[in-house]
Amino acid sequence: MDLELAPGEFVALLGPNGAGKTTLLRGIVGLLSVLAGTIDYDFDRATSPIGYVPQREALDPTFPLTVHEVVLMGTYARLPALRRPGRAERRLAAESLDLVGLGALAEERFGSLSGGQTQRVLIARALAAQPRLLVLDEPTAGVDTEATAAIMKVLTRLNRDQGLTVLLVTHHVRVLRGIANAVVWVQDGRATRRRLDDVLAPAELDVVPGGA
Amino acid sequence: MSTLVEVLRPGFLLHDALVGSVLIGIVCPLVGVYFVLRRMIFLGVALPQLSAAGIAFALLLHRSMVGPHLHIAATDATLARVGAMVFTLGGILVLATLERRGRAIVEARIGVTYAIAGALTILFLAADPWGEAQMVNLLKGDLLATTEKSLTVLVAVLGAVVVTLFAFQKEFLLVSFDHDLAVVFGKAVGVWDATLYFVCGITISFGVLAAGPLVTFGFLVAPPLTARLLTRHMLSFSLAAAAIGGACAFTGFCLAYRYDMPLGPAEVAVACAVLLVVGAGAWVHQQLGRRAA
Repeated sequence: MDLELAPGEFVALLGPNGAGKTTLLRGIVGLLSVLAGTIDYDFDRATSPIGYVPQREALDPTFPLTVHEVVLMGTYARLPALRRPGRAERRLAAESLDLVGLGALAEERFGSLSGGQTQRVLIARALAAQPRLLVLDEPTAGVDTEATAAIMKVLTRLNRDQGLTVLLVTHHVRVLRGIANAVVWVQDGRATRRRLDDVLAPAELDVVPGGA
Repeated sequence: MSTLVEVLRPGFLLHDALVGSVLIGIVCPLVGVYFVLRRMIFLGVALPQLSAAGIAFALLLHRSMVGPHLHIAATDATLARVGAMVFTLGGILVLATLERRGRAIVEARIGVTYAIAGALTILFLAADPWGEAQMVNLLKGDLLATTEKSLTVLVAVLGAVVVTLFAFQKEFLLVSFDHDLAVVFGKAVGVWDATLYFVCGITISFGVLAAGPLVTFGFLVAPPLTARLLTRHMLSFSLAAAAIGGACAFTGFCLAYRYDMPLGPAEVAVACAVLLVVGAGAWVHQQLGRRAA
């Protein structure tokens, strides 16, 4: 498998269920050890952490945390042990929340948010780490059309206005039109760069659950 | 009111027991907060039982190798501390390792740990009649036996636990809420998990020695569950759990003193009563909110 991402690109990982999209993603962010080969970054991960947005089901909504506290966790990436988040980190968290359009919900309970709002809060948390690469694992899974559009709008703005490199796994192929620079088709242990129009062909959509 | 005045007056006979009670009431919930958040409440039952098994084993070992022991001797207390810590920390280590490897479901592992610990405690005691009397007191909650010396040790150890919990709250929260994000950020997840488990193990070991498994488990769980119904921030959750635990321990102590009841069970009963009342209040509040909506 050979895959290269250029700075400022917006790339989607596509492929059938069980093809290894999430596995590839988890390898890229360091959650899985690579058995063979290497993954290289053109930035220092210690000073420029990866912004990671997990599937929202991975997080326990019963934790007594406000939206602001969750976003503040993004700033922990750059904070050493024993240093608590200060005024600068709180401001950064508030700005990140504003960027995803949810500044008004800062004091709401994280667990009380809708699926779409939760995803945008997790994007804000990733932004609070001030990343150069934003990696998202199925950010539009289980959210309605309106929320999907809102999430993609946020990601598009971050990519175009701030030059953030975005890599995401999704099954919602059609929402990528006009947004993604390229798609990477993952199947049978291979990752192949393709044009989005090729993937949007009806025959391919048959093997992408939710893609039609 | 007269009980309150008597309990709070200088030179109160059971002053050390009172301070020990309140201290355990404050610190156990601070640790229990993470048990509740990580959905490992049953670990709060299994670990104190494991700690009790360690104490029984230490006493049995002493009898086998040195001879009959005097329970008022300082060496007994040291021996018991070592036994409690070795068994508790060993148990945490094994459970944490199995959790990482994802073998069997969590509840099954903890349930088996509890069953093994309970059986071992009884078997060790059956082999050591001297240890039995001490363990019976311990299982009831032997806070009244708190001495100035044991209280000093308890204050030092639990004080260190509180400092550690607040100093590394950011790290403990991150690995508890989003383990994966901590890995992505390059944090030493294994170290922070181990530190948290170590702090839990120390608290439980000393809690069981001072107050018994029942009190330790009761205060690990009931005050955090109550606090979760009342708070929405992580810090206020921890502080409220500690405050509720301390207040329940104090109230339980006063009631036990006034009505001549066993101390440990009285404290746990108060903590559980508060949980029931607050839970009922939260439910009513929720129903009223739904109707209004």
